[in-house]
Amino acid sequence: MGQCLRYQMHWEDLEEYQALTFLTRNEILCIHDSFLKLCPPGKHYKEATLTMDQVSSLPALRVNPFRDRICRVFSHNDVFSFEDVLGMASVFSEQACPSLKIEYAFRIYDFNENGFIDEEDLQRIILRLLNSDDVSEGLLADLTSHVLEESDLDNDDMLSFSEFEHAMAKSPDFMNSFRIHFWGY
Amino acid sequence: MSESSASGLPPGRPSRQPFIHQENLSLDSGCFSPAVNFLQELPSYRSIARKRTGGFSREKQSGTLLKPADSYGHQLERGLAENLSNQSVRKYALDISEKRRLRDIQETQMKYLSEWDQWKRYSSKSWKRFIEKAREMTTHLELWREDIRSIEGKFGTGIQSYFSFLRFLVLLNLVIFLIIFMLVLLPVLLTRYKITNSSFVLVPFKNVDVQCTAYSISSSGLTYFYSYIIDLLSGTGFLEDTYLFYGHYTIDGVKFQNFVYDLPLAYLLSTVAYLALSLLWIVKRSVEGFKINLIRSEEHFQSYCNKVFAGWDFCITNRSTADLKHSSLRYELRADLEEERIRQKIAERTSEETIRIYSLRLFLNCIVLAVLAACFYAIYRATIFSQEHMKKEIDKMVFGENLLILYLPSIVITLANFVTPMIFAKIIHYEDYSPGFEIRLTILRCVFMRLATICVLVFTLGSKITSCGNYSCELCGYNQKLYPCWETQVGQEMYKLMIFDLIIILAVTLFVDFPRKILVTYCSSWKLFRCWGQQEFAIPDNVLGIVYGQTICWIGAFFSPLIPAIATLKFIIIFYVKEISLIYTCRPSPRQFRASNSNFFFLLVLLIGLCLAVIPLTISMAHIPSSKACGPYANFNTTWEVVPRAVSTFPSSLQSLVHSVTSEAFAVPFFMIICLVMFYFIALAGAHKRVVLQLREQLSLVRKRQSWGSGPAVFTQDPERNVVFFREGVGAPVTASSELSLRARAPPASFIH
Repeated sequence: MGQCLRYQMHWEDLEEYQALTFLTRNEILCIHDSFLKLCPPGKHYKEATLTMDQVSSLPALRVNPFRDRICRVFSHNDVFSFEDVLGMASVFSEQACPSLKIEYAFRIYDFNENGFIDEEDLQRIILRLLNSDDVSEGLLADLTSHVLEESDLDNDDMLSFSEFEHAMAKSPDFMNSFRIHFWGY
Repeated sequence: MSESSASGLPPGRPSRQPFIHQENLSLDSGCFSPAVNFLQELPSYRSIARKRTGGFSREKQSGTLLKPADSYGHQLERGLAENLSNQSVRKYALDISEKRRLRDIQETQMKYLSEWDQWKRYSSKSWKRFIEKAREMTTHLELWREDIRSIEGKFGTGIQSYFSFLRFLVLLNLVIFLIIFMLVLLPVLLTRYKITNSSFVLVPFKNVDVQCTAYSISSSGLTYFYSYIIDLLSGTGFLEDTYLFYGHYTIDGVKFQNFVYDLPLAYLLSTVAYLALSLLWIVKRSVEGFKINLIRSEEHFQSYCNKVFAGWDFCITNRSTADLKHSSLRYELRADLEEERIRQKIAERTSEETIRIYSLRLFLNCIVLAVLAACFYAIYRATIFSQEHMKKEIDKMVFGENLLILYLPSIVITLANFVTPMIFAKIIHYEDYSPGFEIRLTILRCVFMRLATICVLVFTLGSKITSCGNYSCELCGYNQKLYPCWETQVGQEMYKLMIFDLIIILAVTLFVDFPRKILVTYCSSWKLFRCWGQQEFAIPDNVLGIVYGQTICWIGAFFSPLIPAIATLKFIIIFYVKEISLIYTCRPSPRQFRASNSNFFFLLVLLIGLCLAVIPLTISMAHIPSSKACGPYANFNTTWEVVPRAVSTFPSSLQSLVHSVTSEAFAVPFFMIICLVMFYFIALAGAHKRVVLQLREQLSLVRKRQSWGSGPAVFTQDPERNVVFFREGVGAPVTASSELSLRARAPPASFIH
C-alpha cells in the first residue's frame, strides 16, 4: 500500500486533465489512487511507469479477452505512464464521443496492424470471444463470411476504417459495451 | 483518389506519407467533374478528409503534427482551419501530451481572430463546461445508480435494462401522482385544513330522483379486529370515504378569493394529462430503439457485426461473469447460424408441405383462441360471483372465506397467467417457426393474455353496473341498488388487484425462490434438486409482471386518485425485493437478452398496456352515467359532459373555433392530409434505400476495377476528351498503347459525363 510517493495531485493538473480527457474529477482521482498503488516505490507519479502486465492485472481489464491488444494500443514503448492510463480511461469512459471509441476499437481489433481488419483478424476476434477449444473451421468461416457480407462494402474481403466506422455507427450495442466504469484496484 | 493507399495509412508507418503527397498533385478539387464528384461521397474519402482535419499523425514515436498545407483540396484547407479551432481537444485520437500541444496551437491561433470571434469561442467553451458540470451533478441525483451499475457488472446488460425500466416506472408514477396532487388534491386539502381562505361550492342535486342519491357507507360498527385487516386489504369500510377513492370528492368547485376553481374539470384534465404524459414519455424513450430497428435491413435480421464487434461487454470485471458471457456468446452465435439454416430450409419448402403447415397453424391458433376464451370466461364468472357474494354480513362468514371471495378475481387472473404460458410454450413447438420468431410470438401471446385479463375484469364490472336485473335502469342509468357509487367500487377492485399483485410477488420470492436456493445448495446430493437447479432470472415474465401492475395503475388512477402513489411505493419495494432475489438466489442464464432489443421490447409492451388501459377509461367516461350519489360528476350525465359545459363558457369566437375543429368538415380533410404526408415519407424512404443500393454497387465496381490492375488505381481527368479513366499502377507512364488498352476497357457510362 502506498509504495509510490504519496503526492496529491495539484489542482491545476486535475483541471488540465479534466479539460483534456472525458473523465470526471472522481474518476481521475480514482485512477490516480490505483496508479499509486501499483507503481514502483520512490518515484513521482508523473515519472513512474507501469508494465503491460501490471495494467493487464487491473480488475477492469483482468478478464477482458482483448486485454493484450488494449495494452498494446495504449502503451508507448511497452510501458504505461500515468497519462497513458488516463488516455485509455478517457476513451473507455461513458462521456467519450463515438468517433473516438470507434477509432480506438479499430486499432484494438486490428491484430496484425496492417490498417485493415482482414479475415485473419476476424478469426482471431471470434476465437477470443468464444474462448473455447472446440471451434470448428466451418463455424469460423461461416461467421467471418457473414460479418464481411454485412460490412464489407467494396468486396475486398477486409474492413477498412471507414467500413468499420459505418458498421459501428449502425450497431446499437457498441456504445453500451465499449465502456469501462471502474478503474480501481 | 486512391482509396487503398489513403485508407491503408496504418498507424505509425511514416513511410507511406510521401506516397500520399504524390497523389495529391494529381488531385485538384476544381478539376473534379460533376459525374466524378460522387467519389467524394465515398465513406473512405470522407473519413480520410475528416481524419486529415480532425486527427493528426498516428505516429507514436514523434508526435509530428501535419500542417494544414499538407491536406489536399482547397476546400479541405478551409475546413481544416475551421475545425482546428472548433473541435474540442478531447475528441482527437492522440496522447495527452500531443493534445496539450494541439491545445496550445489552438490558443495561439485564437489570438489572430477578431475580438468578436474570440469572445464567441470563449463563451461557447465556458457554456459547454457549465453544461458538463451540471450533467455531472445530475448524475449524482440519479436514483439507484450504484445498484444498477453493480447489477450490470455482475449479470450483464439484459438484466440491467430490466432494472432501468423499473426505475423509469417509479419516476413515471411519481410524476403522475404529482399531476393529480397538483390538480385535484391540493385545492381540496388547502380548503379542508383551512390553509387558504377558500370554501367548497356544493351545488344541490336537481332533476334527479332521490333514490339515486342514497349512499350509505357500510360502517359495520362491529369491532372485530380482522374487519380492519379486510378493510385495509380491500378498500372497504373505513377506507371507503377517504381521499383514496373517487367518492370522497363530491365537490363542485373550490371558491378562492378571485376565482372559482372548477374541480370536476380539473379531475378530468388530470386524467387526460397523465395519459398523454405517459404516452409521450414512452414514445420518446422508444424512439431510439425504433430507429435502430428500422435501420436494420430485412436480410440481416440479426447483425453479426454487432455481435462480433460489440459482443463483449467491457464492463465485466468478474471471472464467473466473464465465463458466462463467453458461453452466452457461444450460444448466441451458434443459434444465429442455426436460425439462418432453418430460414433457408423454410424457404425451400414444397407447396404441399406449406399447405400442411399453414392448416396446422390455423388449427393451433384456434386452440390458442379457445384457451384465451376459456380464461376470459373463468374470470367473468369469478368476478360476478365475487360481486354477488361480497355484500353478505361479515359475521356470517369465516375470515378466510370472506377474503377468498373478495380476492377471487385476482386469484383466478393469477392462476390463468400462470397456466397459459406453459400451454402456449407447448403449442408453439408444433407450429414450426424459426427459434427467434417462436420466442417473440410466445411472449406476444402472454402479453396479450396478461393485459387483456384486466380489461375483461373491468368490462365484467361495467356490465354488472349497467344491468339492473328484472327492471330497467331508467331511474338513474345504472344499478343504483348494488352500486350507489360505482366508481368507488371499481376503484376498490383496482386497489385489490394492486395489493394482491404485490403480495404474490413477495410471497413467491419468500416461499419459492429462497427455499429453492437453500434446497439446491444444501441438499444437492438429491438428484431431483440438482436437476431442478438454481433459478434463472426470467426477464419476460418479470417485465410482464410490472407492466401488468402499471396497467392497473393507469386504469385505477381515475377511480382512485392515490393509486399512483401506492404504485410508486409498490415498485420501490419490488425493486429491492427483486434485487435481493437476483443477487442471492439467481444464477445468470446462458441465454441472455441483448439490451438494445430489450429496451424496445419493454417499451412496446408498456405501450400495449397503455392502449389497453385507455379503452375501459374512455368507455366509462363517455358512456356509463356517472353516479349521482357521490363524486364530482354527480350533477352531470356522464363524466365527459364537463367538457362541453366548460367550452360553452368560452367567448363565442373561441367556441366557434372549437366547434369547427371538432366537426367532420375539419376531420376528414385533416385525415387525408395526414395520409398524404405518410405516403410521401414512405416514398422518400424507398428512394433513399435505392440510392444506398446503387452506391454500394458502385463501390464494389470500383474495387473490382482496381483488382484488375496491378496496383492502386488513380482517377485522372483528361481535359481534351472529357473522359475520366484509370491510370493503373502508380508512376507508370501513360503510353499510347496503354491508353488504347484503357479505352478498350471503357468504363461504364456513369463514369463519363
